[in-house]
Amino acid sequence: MRFMGQVCLLAAFVSVGYAAFACLYGALLRNRKLKQTGLVSALGGFVALSVVMVVLAYALLVKDFGFQYVVQYSSRQLPWHYSLSALWVGQAGSLLLWAWMLGLAALLFRFWPWKKPSELRDPAFGFLMAYCAFLTATMVFAADPMEANIAPSEEGAGLSPLLQHPAMLIHPPIVFLAYAAWAVPCALAISALAFRRPHGNPLEPSLTAAIGPSAIDSSWVRIARPWALAAWTVLGGGILLGAYWSYEELGWGGYWAWDPVENGSLMPWLLGSAFIHTLMSWQIRGMLKKTSIALAIAVFGMCNFATFLTRSGIFSSLHAFSQSPIGWLFLGLMLILGIGGTVLLVQNRQSLVSENRFNSIWARESFVVISMVSLLLLTAVTVVGTLSVALSEAIVGRRIIVGPAFYNNVLIPTGLVLLATVAPAPLLRWGASPTARQTRAILFSVVAATIIAIIVWLSGVRHPLGLAVAWLAALSVMMLIAALFLESSNRNGGRPWRGLLSTLVASHRLYASFAIHLGFVCIAVGVTGSSLGSRQHELVLTPGDEVVWAGRSIRFHQLIERELPDKFIVEAELEIARGEEKPFRLLPAQHLHRLQDQWTTEVAIRSTWSEDFYTILHNGEGRDAVRLTFVENPLMRWMWLGGWVIAVGAFVRLLPSPGQERKKHPPPVSHLQEKKTRKQRKRRELETAKS
Amino acid sequence: MSTTVKLGIAACIVSGVTAYMAYVGTMTSWKYYLTVDECLADAPALVQQRVRVNGRIAVGSLDIANDRQRATFKLCGTNYELPVTCAGPLPDNLAEDLEVVVEGQLDAAGLLCGEKVLTRCASKYLPETQTATAARPQTSTEVRHR
Repeated sequence: MRFMGQVCLLAAFVSVGYAAFACLYGALLRNRKLKQTGLVSALGGFVALSVVMVVLAYALLVKDFGFQYVVQYSSRQLPWHYSLSALWVGQAGSLLLWAWMLGLAALLFRFWPWKKPSELRDPAFGFLMAYCAFLTATMVFAADPMEANIAPSEEGAGLSPLLQHPAMLIHPPIVFLAYAAWAVPCALAISALAFRRPHGNPLEPSLTAAIGPSAIDSSWVRIARPWALAAWTVLGGGILLGAYWSYEELGWGGYWAWDPVENGSLMPWLLGSAFIHTLMSWQIRGMLKKTSIALAIAVFGMCNFATFLTRSGIFSSLHAFSQSPIGWLFLGLMLILGIGGTVLLVQNRQSLVSENRFNSIWARESFVVISMVSLLLLTAVTVVGTLSVALSEAIVGRRIIVGPAFYNNVLIPTGLVLLATVAPAPLLRWGASPTARQTRAILFSVVAATIIAIIVWLSGVRHPLGLAVAWLAALSVMMLIAALFLESSNRNGGRPWRGLLSTLVASHRLYASFAIHLGFVCIAVGVTGSSLGSRQHELVLTPGDEVVWAGRSIRFHQLIERELPDKFIVEAELEIARGEEKPFRLLPAQHLHRLQDQWTTEVAIRSTWSEDFYTILHNGEGRDAVRLTFVENPLMRWMWLGGWVIAVGAFVRLLPSPGQERKKHPPPVSHLQEKKTRKQRKRRELETAKS
Repeated sequence: MSTTVKLGIAACIVSGVTAYMAYVGTMTSWKYYLTVDECLADAPALVQQRVRVNGRIAVGSLDIANDRQRATFKLCGTNYELPVTCAGPLPDNLAEDLEVVVEGQLDAAGLLCGEKVLTRCASKYLPETQTATAARPQTSTEVRHR
């Protein structure tokens, strides 16, 4: 079976390599037959990769210690689901999963039944296959998942107890899925630049005539947008799951430590947020073209940079990494992308001139620019902080590392600016200032949000940052409600209540986008609440002791010891009561994992919409006494809720738009304005051509 | 004033504030990042400075207090060993022969007084040599709650 896996891995490498060559060269020569052989080869390569995946998964499930990989990451006692998750825990397995997901994404991209297929589909597919070949090559030459275990073994090292958590079952696959999906917009952007045929295409003069000798094929924007949104959502979900794992499993009361690995996945997400919005500006206003192309390449480059961070072994991190050449391969790829992308961008700069100017500071594209600046600054700061050791050594000759305060300080202004740009988005128009009605709605929202902020102040929140976030969050909600009522009123002759639901259904994609903004606001509320209002208390208790802390009466009943086949469990039984509320029981624990001879802290959390009550059992303190830490983290649940809101919003946004609905109902004001602008532009162009 | 100029001014303000906050954050949180050998070679200049030292815990040197709030050990470099004392909550997987990062201050006697000790999540993308070590049963017999 292992031999079959090895043969399939080699076959996959050859197949996807040929597919890359055939699709790219075929697209250049416009040779249909060559492209078709490339497609068949790509399908073959994907099947071969799937076989390798199945072989490794089966080996992990049946604990076949003939595989080196199984010895490293599994054990006889490991439950089947964690055994299967070991597939993406190790270096070789994670690369295999990534390559497989990239293959899947590439095939989905190539064979998706688009209504208006783009000429760029084949070269972009060729670039995706080239990247797949790169990933497969790293497995063939540097990290073979099918490697044999030479020394006979009856038992494996097992999975780290810290990774045995439900969030870790899905966190790595969805991050790799996001990285795979981010490759699509990048491949499209590069194809749009590389296959624009600046001097005309001698093989197909009709095409040159159609798109012009120096025109960029803008069809890539239409195709890239859903891929970018899907990748952004999945990556955001992966980051939040990682934060949730850190919060529940590491037992330190927090969820984000600005570790290089966390930063690694955050950077493409931040750049991706900017990219999604600049892409909209291109599609709707014909603006920010160079920025969009640069960001498409940069986001994918950052995905490779994140891989470099996790696998080069040169960074000080909470995570353990191999010091293998693999990380450097990804850095090399990122540099090639960066240099190649810059050269292409410079070559094509004349074709990427904006079609419109910024008409008003209160137009939507102006807010896109400001939010983009904030996101780029936050990304730059994260990159500088992550690379601080290397940078300081190069500049001042000493290695200096910065702490979380460096990032947190920057997060305050940039986060506030982002919230301030997100809040008015529903009441802004593309290309023009808000109408008189929209301006009135904005003023109404500001007043309503101010009243809410005063209520928050009266409820006891005194921190200026907390109040600012509360005001901006309330403003976001009020503006969205006002926009919905305004549109409903426009559609139903001034009676907004009558057609509220139909308006929501008709413009569901638009409001899904705003729901994503609301999800971001929820996350901001959670982060602010848990950062500003968190407090903790550590103490030693013996059975029967009762303490009062943070308005709660906490009683330690007893220490419970349990023996399981693979671990020994010690739990502290706590009963917690607050005021008239019904008392609840929490069982913070310590687990001794026999195989690894390692203790892990298992926290117990009581979560409500106002706060999380988080308990940590540390250790014994003599006869039955235990050391415990209690943490109160306000508004934590809002952060997880934000993730769900974003996921649902993105799902609805990605649903195909019903064409009939468009005919029945007029699009929102901003779209009408946009159509008018386009018509005017075309008329002007015609007049210029005539003259 | 054109909209582009207004946008430029807004971008400059945001960038300026961000740069200032980054500067303040750097001034309050920076530390020297050193290996054990570098720390000892430059010890006189580093006394009372905030440092972050990376090394491996020497086998046979780890002593964890019963309350698990204090630990002493020797941090191995290529050529030298650095004595360390750590106060505060210790990570679950703190063990001998493990690579750790200690944050703290170096005192005049050459002792690193750590405020925080960070271990690495075991087994994720481990190099093969470390995985082989992980597969071996550990020798620690400490039972925390007894």
